[in-house]
Amino acid sequence: MLQNRVKELRARFGFSQGELGERVGVTRQTIGFIEKGDFSPSITLSLKIAREFQIPVDQLFWLEEEK
Amino acid sequence: MMKKDFRVQYPLWQMAFIVLFGFMAFGLKGATSELVNTSDEFSYSLQFPPLESVALFVTLFLTLLLLAIFFMKISKHNKQNPTQRISLLQIRPLEYLEQDEGMVHITRIASQKVYTFFAWALPFIAVIFLVFELSRFWMIVGILLLALMQYFIYYIEVRKRLEDEE
Repeated sequence: MLQNRVKELRARFGFSQGELGERVGVTRQTIGFIEKGDFSPSITLSLKIAREFQIPVDQLFWLEEEK
Repeated sequence: MMKKDFRVQYPLWQMAFIVLFGFMAFGLKGATSELVNTSDEFSYSLQFPPLESVALFVTLFLTLLLLAIFFMKISKHNKQNPTQRISLLQIRPLEYLEQDEGMVHITRIASQKVYTFFAWALPFIAVIFLVFELSRFWMIVGILLLALMQYFIYYIEVRKRLEDEE
């Protein structure tokens, strides 16, 4: 299952969902879907979000083995 | 806010038009026509029973009223969203949300649910039509019910996902 730190990093950078969405070219709702794990973003969107937080993409998204 | 998007509400409009179409079909089902075509006279008349004629005229009035509001809503949406204009002439269904990949995702899930519904409902209604001798009116009602369910399933799914995110 895909895990992510989008919510944590967004709070650290002081972005609202809408602001982050605007910066990476998606709606606020899509950022919400990603944070909740309802939706796995494309590689392009993952790279854009990682770039906003200035970290490698594998520190933002990672796979957690299902038990 | 997204719930007020015209594309999200579009299935509700479709459902309203489907219901009105059903009442229109009811109004027309009792109509009888008379054609006189002789060497002395030519006339054609349509007669409606009282209940059906009231249903037909009320439905026609409501349809025109709803259509006027519907076109105003489309115009307003296009003014407010110049980059996401919608047209009644477009082939793709107006209810598709495709602004970004998250919206495409919920559109896909809602469409899959509708597809699953049709995979079961179409054979079922085909059997109903085969087994029972239904009039043309009731066959139309059956088809309208399927269309109504299609938009209902789609709307509920999209709304649920957007509500979770509000």
